Amino acid sequence: MSIAVPTGGAVAAPPPPEPEPLAANYLNNGYSIWSWLFTVDHKRIGILYLVSISVFFALGGLFAALVRTNLLSPTGAILSEDAYNRAFTAHGVLMLFFFLIPAVPGVFGNFFIPMMIGAKDLAFPKLNLASWYVFMIGGACAGWAVLVGGIDTGWTLYPPYSSRASQAAVVPGVLGAFISGFSSIMTGLNIMVTIHKMRAPGMTWGRLPLFAWALYATSLIQLLATPVVAITLVLLMAERMMGIGIFDPSIGGDPVLFQHLFWFYSHPAVYIMILPGMGVVSEILTCFSRKNIFGYTAVAWSSAGIAVVGFLLWAHHMFVAGISFYAAMLFSLLSMLVAVPSAIKMFNWTATLYRGSITFHAPMLLSIGFLVLFTIGGLTGLFLATLGTDIHLHDTYFVVAHFHFVMVGGMVLAYMAAVHFWWPKMTGRMYSDFWSRLASVVIIIGFFFTFIPQFVAGYYGMPRRYPNYPAELQWLNVMSTAGSSVLGLGYLMPAIYLPLSFFTGRRAPANPWSATGLEWQTPSPPHVFNFETTPVVVCGPYEYSLGVDQQGRTLPPPPNETNAEPDAQKEAHGG
Amino acid sequence: MSDPHNTTPTADDPHGMRKDLDSTGLLLVVFVAVLGLALANVGISMKMGPTKYTLVVQLAIASVQAGLVAYYFMHLRHGDKVVILTALSSLFWMAILFVLFLADYMTRFWVVG
Amino acid sequence: MANAHASPVLKHHFEDLGQQHACERLGMWMFLATEILFFGGLFAAYTIYRMLYPHEFEIASSFMNRQIATVNTVFLITSSLTMTLAIRCAKLGDRAGLIRNLILTVALGTAFMVMKGFEYAHEFHENLAPGKMFRTEYEKATKAVAGLAPAAADEYFKADAAKPEHERAHAHWAAELALKNKASADEVVDSGKVQMFLCFYFVMTGIHGIHIVVGLGLILWLVYEAATGGIPPENYSTVEVVSLYWHLVDAIWLFLMPLLYLAGAGMHH
Repeated sequence: MSIAVPTGGAVAAPPPPEPEPLAANYLNNGYSIWSWLFTVDHKRIGILYLVSISVFFALGGLFAALVRTNLLSPTGAILSEDAYNRAFTAHGVLMLFFFLIPAVPGVFGNFFIPMMIGAKDLAFPKLNLASWYVFMIGGACAGWAVLVGGIDTGWTLYPPYSSRASQAAVVPGVLGAFISGFSSIMTGLNIMVTIHKMRAPGMTWGRLPLFAWALYATSLIQLLATPVVAITLVLLMAERMMGIGIFDPSIGGDPVLFQHLFWFYSHPAVYIMILPGMGVVSEILTCFSRKNIFGYTAVAWSSAGIAVVGFLLWAHHMFVAGISFYAAMLFSLLSMLVAVPSAIKMFNWTATLYRGSITFHAPMLLSIGFLVLFTIGGLTGLFLATLGTDIHLHDTYFVVAHFHFVMVGGMVLAYMAAVHFWWPKMTGRMYSDFWSRLASVVIIIGFFFTFIPQFVAGYYGMPRRYPNYPAELQWLNVMSTAGSSVLGLGYLMPAIYLPLSFFTGRRAPANPWSATGLEWQTPSPPHVFNFETTPVVVCGPYEYSLGVDQQGRTLPPPPNETNAEPDAQKEAHGG
Repeated sequence: MSDPHNTTPTADDPHGMRKDLDSTGLLLVVFVAVLGLALANVGISMKMGPTKYTLVVQLAIASVQAGLVAYYFMHLRHGDKVVILTALSSLFWMAILFVLFLADYMTRFWVVG
Repeated sequence: MANAHASPVLKHHFEDLGQQHACERLGMWMFLATEILFFGGLFAAYTIYRMLYPHEFEIASSFMNRQIATVNTVFLITSSLTMTLAIRCAKLGDRAGLIRNLILTVALGTAFMVMKGFEYAHEFHENLAPGKMFRTEYEKATKAVAGLAPAAADEYFKADAAKPEHERAHAHWAAELALKNKASADEVVDSGKVQMFLCFYFVMTGIHGIHIVVGLGLILWLVYEAATGGIPPENYSTVEVVSLYWHLVDAIWLFLMPLLYLAGAGMHH
């Protein structure tokens, strides 16, 4: 944490003048559809991702609604058993491959990594655009699979059902996931090379924002894990289409081998999903408590730790699949280990909040929600990592609740927080403070009522992926469905007030949250090439207590607790 | 950050591209070595027949070949540190794959207790 | 960097050529890491099955065409040499030499694929292919010869109005298996696991072949670029990036070959 700027004493330097809103920024640099579809500007590509993953999120949510509605009755309320299988599979495939994995890297990684490190673009702009097209092609294949009736194998696609018996459109669905994996690899590759080679002068590894560290760790996993699922899906398609039975027991094949290969990717994949969210939370907590992160080095290296250790755990998804008992013990032990870096982050975040000057804007509310919900999700993961308890809890709603806590209560909340945090920078508009805070609270409350009952149901033995359940568990399911309606309402609210901000929101200043990152030193929305001149970094990323940004210039006044525009910013806007 | 190797422009080489030029002789020597090892691999395998150690020998030879290709042909010889780290990491991760897979399959038929 | 900023090769988002080349090289190496993991999954699966069924894998491997594989190995290793020489020519600005070496690489790669084509054709002809083709005919053949003499097997197949194109395969397999069962009475060869080897053989060589074809396409694109003046010395890294990919495909073959073709080397049959 080296600082090359004299600390402000009683008389600090005034903040630099508000950058003029640009006549020419990345948004109005060409209005035609072609200027968007053929752009190589990383910011526009981020917006392309934003639009497409929002559509996939809505689709995945629709299938979730179908599942939860069906579970209102112990014998299945609205769907046949086969249709139910297809509904939960579609929900899983769409949400995992087409929302959670690409969301933060594709939108905010693309948009902000170059800006945060002081670069003009990512290392490979055309590859970046290609990654979006590949993503869309994968989405089209999966969408096609859904349109022709969907897959009924579960998103985990286990053979021999998926390779032989299933009558569903397995190949288009698998092809969609396979193709989208390449998009993931391209994005990860781009981000890693950019962070290695294109940092601005003075931006050492020790001064990188934690979001960059998190995205780097994510990209590492994307690069190394995704190819393994790629070959797995190829082998699955080969078995289904050509009878090349690598997992076929009748010629000596082992279906558990598929599970090994599949989970070698799919477990690290959950860290692909959560690590960017953790990076976002680091950015937001520091900004809205006006404090430096507690233990920068620990948080930075814990991202790398999660990425590496996360590769050693996968068979905890297979404890009852027939793997060796000794291997199961090993994986159980290793699974406990990954809780350590995650816990390190939790402790450091909490310590960051302690004695901070906290305001409760929407990004902060969502980030605090993340802290609570991810902790619960993470702790319940330990129940599942423990070999003995997993025997009882495997394939019950306990598992479903656990992963929804970490993925929805964790990652989706972090994604929403990122949207709310960076919206002013991306669009140049402020959204309604009141509605955003209300939506955050509605989301968190809805979430609780949706998923807490599922822990109880799972504890009582309600199996997952079953279209029916014992009648005495109905009250839990009804509560869960009711909660999911509230949660859905909570997601609907930003879908309204965020686009509305284009019409009724006030214009955003360059740095509405008074944050320290380089991305906030540009006008909102930014110039096509990000920076007028290459920034020179003189200090670490969260010098809130010193009141300076990463270029050593004084920060504007922090956002106040009410909805009112702060006076200094009002002046800059001419009242 | 600029690549540290391409920094010496000269009159007939204005961008300093020739600094790490391979010599043809060196490339030919490496080529002959890799080729020789390939033929040796076939010969030794046929001589040994399918014994317990044949696979080990074959993979050892292949590893030396791949190492030569990586070090000389793929220019790891003057690669920057991140490139070498990338190459080694991919092998390390493949090792994770192999070791933990085998941890299951090799112990599956052991009797518990 | 005297003329770095004046070079048309320099892309707008890079500070200088050194940064650009370093990024291109690192980017390709990271992509190669993904390829290593991609094939790594295949190799891991192969390793497990070979560990579980060593005898069947050795027998099946002994039916593969070692001669073609050796010739193909020579082709690929030579193509790696010519590809590296191409980088050298690019750096020196020797356009004719660059194009010559690139074309040689393409020729050698194409020769590899042609030999592979012959190899596959032969194997399909012998019914040494996984899936439906293998299973029904091979199982018939093995059932017939289990405990029987070859003569009885011949009678069995003559009696069975088998389709003409499979007769040769039946006789081939029947004779081979009968020989083996005679040679080592306590060693039972499970036909299914032999087929498992063939599954791996076709998937591994097939995917590797696809990578070769993609590489050939990339190198042909380089020829076009070189011929139209798109590869001045300061753009040598375009050639280097493709050559890195090509060398990896070669290196993968160096491991593939012993695993698939030399597992049963030295077996008598």
